Amino acid sequence: MKRRQLLSALAAAGALGAVPGRRRASPSPLHDCGCAPQIVTAKDKPPGAAAFRDVASRLRVTNMRVFGVTLDERIAQADRPYVFVKIETNEGVTGWGEATLEGKAAAAMACVMDLKDLIIGSDPMQVEHLYQSMYIGSFYRGGPVLGSAISGIDQALWDIRGKVMGMPVYEMLGGPVDARGVRGYYHADAWTLAAARELRDKTKAAGVTALKFQLPDLLECVETNAKIKRAVAHMEMLREGLGPDLDFAVDFHARPSPTVAAIILREIEPLHLLFAEEICPPENVRAMARAVRHSTTPIATGERLIASFGYAELIDMGVVDVLQPDIAHVGGVSALWKVSATAEASGIRMAPHACEGPIGGIASLHVDAAGPNFLAQEICGFVDAGEKNRVWEDLMGFPAMRMAGGRYPLPTKTGLGVDINEEALKRYPFQGTRPFAMAFQEDGAVASI
Amino acid sequence: MTTRSRKLRGGGSIVFAPPAAENHPLKVTQFRAWRVREPVSNRRYTVVRLQSQGGIVGHGEGGPAPAAEIVAARAAVMDRRATESEYIRAALRGAPALEAAVSNAMLDLVSRAKNVPIYRYLGGPVRFKARLLGHLEGATPAESAPSLERAKGHGIQAFTTAAPARDAMIPLRAYVDLVRQQYADMQRLAGASAEWVLDAAGAMTPGDAASVAVALERSHPIWFDEPTLVTTQDALAKIVDESTMPIGLGRHITDMAAFQSLLAGGSVNIVRPDLGLNSLTKIKRVAAVAETHYVGIAPFHNGGPIGSMAGIHLNASILFAYAQQIPVPASDRDAAMRVEIASGLKESGDKGFFALLNRPGLGFEVNERGLDAWSEERI
Repeated sequence: MKRRQLLSALAAAGALGAVPGRRRASPSPLHDCGCAPQIVTAKDKPPGAAAFRDVASRLRVTNMRVFGVTLDERIAQADRPYVFVKIETNEGVTGWGEATLEGKAAAAMACVMDLKDLIIGSDPMQVEHLYQSMYIGSFYRGGPVLGSAISGIDQALWDIRGKVMGMPVYEMLGGPVDARGVRGYYHADAWTLAAARELRDKTKAAGVTALKFQLPDLLECVETNAKIKRAVAHMEMLREGLGPDLDFAVDFHARPSPTVAAIILREIEPLHLLFAEEICPPENVRAMARAVRHSTTPIATGERLIASFGYAELIDMGVVDVLQPDIAHVGGVSALWKVSATAEASGIRMAPHACEGPIGGIASLHVDAAGPNFLAQEICGFVDAGEKNRVWEDLMGFPAMRMAGGRYPLPTKTGLGVDINEEALKRYPFQGTRPFAMAFQEDGAVASI
Repeated sequence: MTTRSRKLRGGGSIVFAPPAAENHPLKVTQFRAWRVREPVSNRRYTVVRLQSQGGIVGHGEGGPAPAAEIVAARAAVMDRRATESEYIRAALRGAPALEAAVSNAMLDLVSRAKNVPIYRYLGGPVRFKARLLGHLEGATPAESAPSLERAKGHGIQAFTTAAPARDAMIPLRAYVDLVRQQYADMQRLAGASAEWVLDAAGAMTPGDAASVAVALERSHPIWFDEPTLVTTQDALAKIVDESTMPIGLGRHITDMAAFQSLLAGGSVNIVRPDLGLNSLTKIKRVAAVAETHYVGIAPFHNGGPIGSMAGIHLNASILFAYAQQIPVPASDRDAAMRVEIASGLKESGDKGFFALLNRPGLGFEVNERGLDAWSEERI
């Protein structure tokens, strides 16, 4: 911008009682696409921050780092690299968040750093302003890459806020609703009646009250009698083996079309599932509505949706009974809380998705604990803890993703209650993005996994 | 819209854990309340004072409430931590004025304990100043003139003006002309820089409100407030489908589902929960619903100065908050009484905005002697 233009812009801003960052009243002629140059931002870092000089805290973000964390495939073959975000401040308070995005780790890491200019130098206590800066200020709102990057940063900001306030985040959100902890469920599989009965006994012995299973087959847009019968029979077998007292959900993983989903949902009504998850692909809400209207089976969805806006149509149209935002994609604590509040107003329950690492999982517990419409928390783990649990202990000093008596205990430390050992992180160096697993139909066509 | 029933909707009551027994510094140990009445306008509100185990005090204001509800609220909050706003929201669901007063007092207490302004505790600030909307007293331009003068003197540039009620003998066209004339008179009285909200206080039929909305479209009121009490979607569709006038609704609503219904139906352009009937934390939840519809929020307020300031903190923590309504008394006695309660702080601004205070809690000390002097009853 030339000097004369700059002075004219500042004069116009002054006449409006404006602050740097505000649009000019009469922009001078532009010679480009007009996307940005009307904004006066030259000396204001992060953009818009100067307006808050009298009302901000003394805390400032001094650095933001992102860590890719790859586990040995012998520990968890399909597991994604995890993406952790650390924010440092001028007063030594640090915050951790998680931006893990399955199949797009490098993109999420790059996007976190793309947002650096909005965060470095900012007041981390202004979490809503920073959330909106990242979401609205990115112009292209939403999408899983931006959503995951915002999620990691937002969680870290909440971690700092809680530490500064000297309380766990769930207390800042008005909780806990139940101080005993947050009900959870593990993933499970059982392909025979005997295996299901054995799983029942093991699950009950562990005090766990709910499990989640997958469908047996990939599915096409219309399906054969044989495949539909196999899907229904599988769930009937699970109910018989698990008994009437153990809750179980089934993740359809968006494999069926709405047409096929409607048929299956109708037939599994007597099984009284905890919920049926992602019963068809998530993009078209009206199509999903078509699938669910013939069944009383509770319907859950939402793990692939971003920001509270992503859920508005599902809620307004009354399509679902349970929402499943993922705190590592939806927009962190801020967005998960907003979705939860919006869902509550429509009598919809929350069962947040969590297939990331321990930071996101624990961050989710904080929002769960403050939500009166909370139902159950997913954690990617099994009744048998497995090797991955050792990694979480290595990184965090405790088995972060384990239930006791069917509940995840609430963190008692301030902030999110997590502290990552950076020395331990070096034992799991980032080894590049691992693509999401693919699946194909019998004829070679791409299938929803 | 699908007709799918919600099996999980409504549900039973939530079971909260009993209060923790330990001596936490934020445990509420003392409760006091005042039923306040302003001397001339007779405006009434309830002020609650909470004190924690650690000796920190917080104040909150709600609408007028009977003594029995105040006693029940005391039983609900004693021994609870001042952070447990979700518990209070559930426990005082049937006493919305006390839900607002107690929950806001908890917020003031916790923010003071942590030495931060309430807006920072709530996740803000998202702005450094809050737009004020002067709620003028009086039903006619002549009656509103003193209130308007005071509001202008307080730096307020946006005002509500009351729409006249329709006498059954007045033909519709004459009534619409009367509303338009009165609106124009108020515009002249305030000058060109003033912006207006037309307040029908729920007194119109949907049909009359639609005619008024169409007639005043080109005058561009910021919005047409509470045009009718008939808030069914069909009734409101008459107004919102027949005009482009923004509609404000919600001052009587305390139910989250009712707000959601208005928003999902596209029946409202600015949501107006009453600060006297909804706590800040509850209104934040309403705002989260409104945000997904790109609908703004401007809490209604016809209470005291403690409520006004609480509303400003809320405004500073929500992106889609547009303005905070401030009652502007016509009488000098009422105005002086409000300043006395707020220990000298005036509900005033500069060029239409209140500059946020960077002080703990509400940002000012509540004058309890003033509350003693101006209350009908102390509990």
